Amino acid sequence: MRRIVVRRLVQIIPLIFAVIVLNFVLIHLAPGSLFDVMTSEQQVTDPAMLDQLRRTYGVDQPTWVQLAKYIWAVMRLDLGFSYRQNAPVLQVIMEQLPATVILMLAATTIALLVGVTAGVVASVRVNTIWDNLISFGAVFFFAAPSFWLGIMMTVLFAVKLGWFPVGGMRTIGSGHGAFADALDVMHHLVLPATALGLFYAATYARVMRASMLEVFRLDFVRTARAKGLSSGRVIVAHVMRNALLPIITLLGLQLGTMLGGSVVIEAVFSWPGIGSLLFDSVMSRNLPMVLGVLVLGSLLVAVCNATVDLLYMRLDPRIRVR
Amino acid sequence: MLALAADFIRRFARNRAALVGFVLVIVVIGIALSAPWLFPRNPLRIVGRPEIWPFTTSRFPLGTDSLGRDIAAMIAYGARTTLLIGLCASLTATIIGISVGATAAFFGGWVDELLMRLTELFQTIPNLIFVLTIVSILGQKIEYVTIAVGIVTWTPIARLTRAEFMSLRDREFVQACRSMGMGNLRIMFGEILPNALPPVIVLSSLVIAGAVLFESAVSFLGLGDPNISSWGRLIGDGRTLIRSSWYICAVPGVAIMLTVLALNLVGDGLNDALNPKLRDR
Amino acid sequence: MATDRVSEPTPVLAIDKLEVSLFTRRGVLPAVDGLSLTVAAGETVAIVGESGCGKSLAALAVMRLLPEPPARIVGGAVRFLGRDLAALSDREMQRVRGKDISMIFQDPMTSLNPVVTVGDQLIEAIRRHTAVSRREAGDRAVELLRQVRIPDAERRLDDYPHQMSGGMSQRVMIAMAIACGPQLLIADEPTTALDVTVQAQILGLLKELQTESGMGLIIITHDLGVVAETADRVVVMYAGRKVEEARVGALFERPLHPYTRGLLGATPSAVRRRGGRLVEIAGSVPALSDLPVGCAFQNRCPDVFDRCRAARPALASLLPQQSVACFAVEEEVSRHAAAVGT
Repeated sequence: MRRIVVRRLVQIIPLIFAVIVLNFVLIHLAPGSLFDVMTSEQQVTDPAMLDQLRRTYGVDQPTWVQLAKYIWAVMRLDLGFSYRQNAPVLQVIMEQLPATVILMLAATTIALLVGVTAGVVASVRVNTIWDNLISFGAVFFFAAPSFWLGIMMTVLFAVKLGWFPVGGMRTIGSGHGAFADALDVMHHLVLPATALGLFYAATYARVMRASMLEVFRLDFVRTARAKGLSSGRVIVAHVMRNALLPIITLLGLQLGTMLGGSVVIEAVFSWPGIGSLLFDSVMSRNLPMVLGVLVLGSLLVAVCNATVDLLYMRLDPRIRVR
Repeated sequence: MLALAADFIRRFARNRAALVGFVLVIVVIGIALSAPWLFPRNPLRIVGRPEIWPFTTSRFPLGTDSLGRDIAAMIAYGARTTLLIGLCASLTATIIGISVGATAAFFGGWVDELLMRLTELFQTIPNLIFVLTIVSILGQKIEYVTIAVGIVTWTPIARLTRAEFMSLRDREFVQACRSMGMGNLRIMFGEILPNALPPVIVLSSLVIAGAVLFESAVSFLGLGDPNISSWGRLIGDGRTLIRSSWYICAVPGVAIMLTVLALNLVGDGLNDALNPKLRDR
Repeated sequence: MATDRVSEPTPVLAIDKLEVSLFTRRGVLPAVDGLSLTVAAGETVAIVGESGCGKSLAALAVMRLLPEPPARIVGGAVRFLGRDLAALSDREMQRVRGKDISMIFQDPMTSLNPVVTVGDQLIEAIRRHTAVSRREAGDRAVELLRQVRIPDAERRLDDYPHQMSGGMSQRVMIAMAIACGPQLLIADEPTTALDVTVQAQILGLLKELQTESGMGLIIITHDLGVVAETADRVVVMYAGRKVEEARVGALFERPLHPYTRGLLGATPSAVRRRGGRLVEIAGSVPALSDLPVGCAFQNRCPDVFDRCRAARPALASLLPQQSVACFAVEEEVSRHAAAVGT
């Protein structure tokens, strides 16, 4: 089993390699030379820093040498220097990454809980009012832009009802220990995570419903009933256990989109993650940071994809034995 | 061929949701096309008091924004932008996707392997981040936004095209063509492609919906073309007033939602009509 | 039929004029039309017929496992040890299934949950109806696997269904079915999907288990070879109706109904044409939506005459322990009786 894990993780390497090369190509599409880009058009003024950058990126050397040096730099986790924060790109990103991870985890949890439950209910009560309501809801949340949902939710729940804060991750000046802090973050997390997650909840609801309906017709469900199991147990232990498999696959495929979605949600809710960082960097033409987010974002997605693949293998014994 | 088409249309028409979607799409297209007649003056001109609520006066049925511009006019013109970008981006994605998928399926071997790795690459890179990267490098012009959106949405089309091609490639009629001495390209585009197209076209309709959402996100963030008024941009502009005049954000969002909804319903309807075996139970 | 039973205990199963209909877009179809049959303890009854004759639906009706749209029980009773199963609530029926009556199905490879181990599925069946700990259930599961002759039983508990052959999967199904000591086991085409070599083993296993426990056994099949090997009594069905019932020996020796005779290839012309047993009867089973007035078999029957097209023949016990629904046979028998002077 461990060999499979390692093999799957190793597959990430060529992918990231390709992203790095792509980065290099993109840099060359930008006006100015590689050096201009990496120094944010000479906004880096520290001469020692400039010198180091010249050495790292092989200024005035042929392109393929520059490419090799660039790849080597990124592999060493040197993503350049950001003038705006006056710190290495990698460091800034790592500081803001946890906030995005928390947001994505919360959004995925909401999406799975709401979506899977809705899909199961719709399939068990197929063609009734519940099914129609859920299907309608799914279509609605699938079509509504998540940032717009975020704004509307802010208007209703934060501005009008005052149940939740309008934005940010923490209330300033409320540092009363780890537990209180965690609760505070969760309180701030509700609206953005829900706004981000509902789109995926809609997808999962639709897929789960279809998957459940398909599994209902399979022979082993009849066997389970013939054993005298209660309908609840048949649905949970037998039908859902099989119907969830396509959802897991879907989960993997959606991660790249969700990371992109979090960029907009973070902008709407002033959530201090890499999405906000990216937005700020695009506005201030801070290209090293933008590219750094691209590389690390891709790495994050690749790792999550690999994890989901391995999880799927764990859950479906049929594809394990190779 | 004609009988097949008539059958297809009949199946589509039986699906009420798809019909509703179809009507909605026609309405949106109608509004987009007739905007210059409905609202002959520049929608960005100030025409009244700022922050008038919708449904309060007949002169401004959808109200006015923070500067006093007619929201209804901006929505109508925004429809043009949205549809145009959606269509162009989707077209770009479709062209790239079909090319990649067809080539991969037709030639197989290392070509297939390479192109599939490429597809995987574009599936791993987070979509919106990539679009924003391109926009920040090349500049905030509508052409670049369109191309960028097209570049991140081609992967599902490539996969589908490849699958369809692979199932058609080994059929007898292709062998027959080959034995007649037809060149590869001719077989690919003349014979296989027309048969593989229907499901790909259906997917394209869903891709348009995705492109609309992407574009609205980019312009919401203020990173779209500053000279173009699109629905996403309207939402972005209205953010500062959500406490008092939140309708400025609400109205364009409803427009986006209805358009995407309509496209999805039509796409689902086309899909169902194409796969009738799943219908009759 | 009353003459067959002198003083017998309540039969394990007594199906009484069961009617199951299919509610489809094309109308209401009578898939099972007034079926009556009984099964005594320790007895094996085979239900024979072509596919579509309603035998599987009848079995599912007994278990109340009918696919609810489109099928439904619309008449009759299903009495298990005197209790009408058709009148039970869902909850009550769930307590009967797997414990008092069990059923195994045709394709064992798809009848087991692919993502759960065989052991867990067995333990689930055991713990549903018996209050034992997981450990005890595990031990019992091993015992059951040994009882159905699966080698290396302990190791098999952790196998997944896809790791087993067809024959072994069917043994597991049987093990699950007998786990709680049912008094009736229904086997729907238990060997159809299996290799010929394995078929005999599975049938032998079923008979052994029956002898050990004294349970009633219903075997549904289209294969007369299976009937010959296992049955005590045979019920022949056609287009949803029972057309003949007899003890197995009698059925093979002197089949009365033209359909049965056709199945056995015992019509004189068939015997002349080929020496074998199973022959195809010309024509095909009429669609349920298109049943003719009168006897359902009329369009394929070599002995058909006008009365057959006018009315449905009722089941009549024309010989001891053998009943038949056929006007031609009735006439033949009464002619014979008149000639002999009875």
